[in-house]
Amino acid sequence: MLLVALVALGCAFGAGSKEAAAPAQSGPVTIKVANYALLESGYEQFWKGIKTGFEAANPDVKIEWVTAPYGEIMNQVINMAGGGDKVDVVFGEIGWVPGFEDAGLAAPIDEILPAEFIKDFYPDVIDSFKIKGKAYGIPLYISPYVLYYNKDLFKQAGLDPNQPPKTYDEMLAMAEKLSQLKDKNDNKVYAFGQTTASVPVSGSSLTAMVFNFGGQVLDANGKVSVDNEGFKQAFSMLQTLDQKGYNPQNAKLKDLRNLFALGQLAMYYDQSWGFNGVKSINAEAKNFTASASPLKGGKGSGQSLLQAHCFILVNNGKARANATSKFVQYVINEKQLNDYLANLTPAYPAKKSMASMEGVANNGVLKGAAASAGNVKMQTFIPALNDLNLELCTLAQAVTVSHTNVDDAIATFKKNVATKVK
Amino acid sequence: MDMGKPLDKHTLDNWYSMGLTLPALIISTVFILIPIVDSVVKSFLQYGVKNIISGKPGVWNQFANYRALVQSNALPNAIRNTFFFVVFVILFQFVLGMILALILNSNVKGARFFRSIMMMPWVVPTVISALIWMWLFQPQYGLVKYLASVFSFGKATDVAVLNNPDTALIGVSVAALWKQIPLMTLLLLAGLQNVPDDILEAATIDGAGKARRFFSIVMPYMGSVIKVAISMSIIENFKQFPLFWTMTGGGPDGATTNLAVLSYREAFVSMNLGSGAAVTTIWMLLMIVTVYLYNKAFKTYDMT
Repeated sequence: MLLVALVALGCAFGAGSKEAAAPAQSGPVTIKVANYALLESGYEQFWKGIKTGFEAANPDVKIEWVTAPYGEIMNQVINMAGGGDKVDVVFGEIGWVPGFEDAGLAAPIDEILPAEFIKDFYPDVIDSFKIKGKAYGIPLYISPYVLYYNKDLFKQAGLDPNQPPKTYDEMLAMAEKLSQLKDKNDNKVYAFGQTTASVPVSGSSLTAMVFNFGGQVLDANGKVSVDNEGFKQAFSMLQTLDQKGYNPQNAKLKDLRNLFALGQLAMYYDQSWGFNGVKSINAEAKNFTASASPLKGGKGSGQSLLQAHCFILVNNGKARANATSKFVQYVINEKQLNDYLANLTPAYPAKKSMASMEGVANNGVLKGAAASAGNVKMQTFIPALNDLNLELCTLAQAVTVSHTNVDDAIATFKKNVATKVK
Repeated sequence: MDMGKPLDKHTLDNWYSMGLTLPALIISTVFILIPIVDSVVKSFLQYGVKNIISGKPGVWNQFANYRALVQSNALPNAIRNTFFFVVFVILFQFVLGMILALILNSNVKGARFFRSIMMMPWVVPTVISALIWMWLFQPQYGLVKYLASVFSFGKATDVAVLNNPDTALIGVSVAALWKQIPLMTLLLLAGLQNVPDDILEAATIDGAGKARRFFSIVMPYMGSVIKVAISMSIIENFKQFPLFWTMTGGGPDGATTNLAVLSYREAFVSMNLGSGAAVTTIWMLLMIVTVYLYNKAFKTYDMT
């Protein structure tokens, strides 16, 4: 224990002296990039290539990776910042932006990136990153939640594999036939997958489902606003799906990807890049996978929630901010992302100049859902977005596995969320 | 020069004892006492990540952290789940551990080998145990589902232990039992081996049956071992986090949210460190009261 204490004290004093010496530093500038993807299969090679290529093109800048698993990277960055060691870039998801902004870690992008670079992004997309008029993240690529479906299972059920459902009613009719199928090992085939497990990304997906029905979760001022038909209809639909045994209960997105890859799930909602997870389980999945736009429900037009992988930037002084700017412009570029979007992470570019890039235009998996990218709705950013998303998951579990009446479950949700979202 | 009266042996011994105790005292104060006090203080403040990064102190918020926990029903639910888990696991752990210890103590053939094998779950890291049991309980292709289907002649097709709010807590408890029974067995076996044979022989000659010998001689002689083993188990299960977080994340529908999960969720998911500290404070108080009551209720006697 004493040794640990001494080492800790030594580190603390050591760190202090290093900080003090920093302004006198000469030579290359080092930027710290927090990136969970380096620990995920399939992505490591791309990011290592980025580091090598960027450092070769910019000998005055060095990249130092900060890694942690997906679920821990936010805590890692925050803990480092608490100790006075702030990263320069976080590779993350759009839903992380309000948390970092609230923690005082995210800088407005126009503080770091040149105006002409930002101008090339679709204005609606940049607006999705805004908090009080300032954008706090810059997307690498975007996607709504798309509907992936298995063409082979559609054929087996006597359905046209080129005519996916457009509405929830059509989906239910098709699901009746699809749910009669068994896979080659005589396992049940689930007709439709919507994630409901207790993780924030499931809450985002549920929000997208509410948008499908024309409903909302938050109003424009960030206040909880769930007394609308679309909200209730979305959770009633979840209950119907559960009662009919169509939806795998309490599943994470990775569970749905697994079932879909193994031919035990006929349709499911996912971020477009979720297909990479499917492919990593079954390389043949590209032969039976097709995509479609999100379904229309109630009076809704099938709108969805914009999802994005993005960079969240931290302003650590002029030298590091300049290096960060170079890094961001190097990565969000057709040259770097073409193969990535074509082969690794199917998604839509966020920049106008990348709209016709080959990796997207000829992407067979995404073709069916191409129209959906323009039919997205903004979710108001609030600091407690993670909490809200987790409460949405609990609501979904209440109407499914707990068999609670939808009205009662929504009343409990409102009570619980009132203490979190002011 | 007058050096004054030399210190007597007793005073020197006291100084020496204090010198030896001082490092432990300093370390306990710095690493245990101060963090506990700091956590209790923060539980009354609005204190988030922003405060850590900016270095600004938290703001007194009129018990808002505690009020919010009670209003949302999160706290009563977590307390209920924690106590159910602790009682369920300890009860089965003790009964099964005692049965195994008695078998191993009866010089059954292969006992030494079985004793070595039996310890394997205990040495498996808790997160790995959780992943193993998640796989066993997997609702589509898990072993438990398969076995249920086989033994019910195909009638039980929908066995999803961790997805059902009525069974999820039992599922996590089973994983905890699998991991913890070996240690309990080992401790009880050590206790059993210290029960004097001559007393047992005397009781047998006096006509005492197996049950009478067990409850009137073996159990009282094992009192101190049982007390320590169960105390350790209470603490271990009261603070159980990795099994819950890995297997269910507190779901479904809050059915497996215990105080550890609630505290983590408040502090590191909601990023509300004040609220996380409030849960931790209540958690600590409940644990102190539980262990105190247990020690009060379980009196041991010197049997030597």
